[in-house]
Amino acid sequence: MTETKDNKESNENFDSRFENLASYVLGALDHAEERIAVENLIERDPEVQAEFEELAEAAYLLAITVPPLEPPASLKNRIMDMAGQSVPTRLVEITHSDEKENGRTGAPWWRRTFQSGIAVSAAAAVLVVVVGSALGYQNNQLGNEINALRADLATESVAVADLQTELSKTLTDSENRVAAMKSEMKVMEEDFVATTEMVVHQEEMVSQLGIANNALRQALSDQNWLTYASTKEGYQVESWLAGNTQQVTTKEPTASGLIAVRIIGNEAVFQVHGLPQPQPGYAYTLWLMGNGDPRPVAQFDVSGIGSATVAFLLPEPLRFFSTVVVTQERVNGIGTDPTGTMVLSSQTN
Amino acid sequence: MYRLNYQGLEDLELLAKIGEQDRQALGALYERYGRRVFALAVRMLNDPVGSEEVTQDVFMSVWRRGASYTSKKGKFTTWLFSIAHNRTIDELRKRRRDRSRENADIDDHLDVQSGDISPPDAAVAKSEYAKIRAAMQKLPTEQKCVVELSYFKGLTQTEISTKTGQPLGTVKTRMRLALKKLRTALSNEIGAQA
Repeated sequence: MTETKDNKESNENFDSRFENLASYVLGALDHAEERIAVENLIERDPEVQAEFEELAEAAYLLAITVPPLEPPASLKNRIMDMAGQSVPTRLVEITHSDEKENGRTGAPWWRRTFQSGIAVSAAAAVLVVVVGSALGYQNNQLGNEINALRADLATESVAVADLQTELSKTLTDSENRVAAMKSEMKVMEEDFVATTEMVVHQEEMVSQLGIANNALRQALSDQNWLTYASTKEGYQVESWLAGNTQQVTTKEPTASGLIAVRIIGNEAVFQVHGLPQPQPGYAYTLWLMGNGDPRPVAQFDVSGIGSATVAFLLPEPLRFFSTVVVTQERVNGIGTDPTGTMVLSSQTN
Repeated sequence: MYRLNYQGLEDLELLAKIGEQDRQALGALYERYGRRVFALAVRMLNDPVGSEEVTQDVFMSVWRRGASYTSKKGKFTTWLFSIAHNRTIDELRKRRRDRSRENADIDDHLDVQSGDISPPDAAVAKSEYAKIRAAMQKLPTEQKCVVELSYFKGLTQTEISTKTGQPLGTVKTRMRLALKKLRTALSNEIGAQA
């Protein structure tokens, strides 16, 4: 629980500069270039430097969790002997500064040494011995230094080679990613074009559907469909009840209708359009007149748009009747003559 | 004739003497820290002979490079033990590469007897050790684990991630949290040690 909270806090305060500091302090970095990067950060960033010091002190505490152990006494002797054969790095600087402090800075050391002509020969002999020893010693030191530098160089070379390998890998990865992204973009572009085409097609379909819908609405309101429907099934129109013909007498100017008679037999269909809803308790009644007593042949209601299609049997051929009449009559109350309001009438053809 | 009391000199004064090629100063530093450096190496390598070589290298490094030490490198003890730790890790990884030997678990070493330590030192060491160990024990198990694997076993962060199955980022976070907690818990001890 505590660590979860710590992690949360740590994530909230995440700073990539500090990412590898703890690993560096614990000696847990994997590659030389990582160590170099951390050291460069410590060198130039005061905040990183401060964090480094804090973590390094904690690492020191880890070191002293181990109880001290007495090494063999011979170890100290070996170290002291080796120190006697090796020179700390500041030795040369100290020698020069000593000379300056002793007030012998007026002339180079070799000029001061050889100012006395008498001493030249003796000095030369001593010089050969001293210089020889010094050169031998110095040569030995230089050899050690060169070996150390070679070792450092070898280490650095490995680090550089690792870095180059890493960079090469990173470059290849990046190129592959770019190629993959380009490919994805191409696919997306193709998808976009296809989608655009689909949208255009759908818009065209919607437009066509709109046109078809309008055409259908028009057809529904156009009574010609009635004619079409009736003639299609072997009927022929024998009586028009159209509002624009002189034969029609109507109190409903929007009403129109027809009677289609089947070519064979005595079946007929009466179709009407544009009638208002009948009064409550009333229904429309179709009468055939002019051949004796009026003949009520059908009683019907109309749809919401005032249309109705009624099939009935002609008592005699339609040409024997002179008039077709539609009235409103009481439901189930039809008499021998029309008594209700006449809404549509027409002479037969 | 005046004889300098090297044991009474501060670490930095001894370093200055080392810069003057004073071997007695090196000897004084060895007397002061040699047992701890040797113990750390034994703790990590589990090999007294190899640990002698490491200790020798560490103090020869101080002899050669001590004069170049500056406070920018942190406190002297921090610097000294970072040299010791890095040198031991190098040896440990070299050996691991050779697959020549295995390390024992940390708790085996934490119980190492310090019978060779002189009584006053042993008392001080025991006191410090107890406090630091107590602080270590208070760390969450996961944090203690990554610290032990890295600092004492010499595993890299990637190796720890692989070994424990934790994401690399989690390993890094736990290392940092552990060190910061340890530092906070023992801030007074650090002052006393420095």
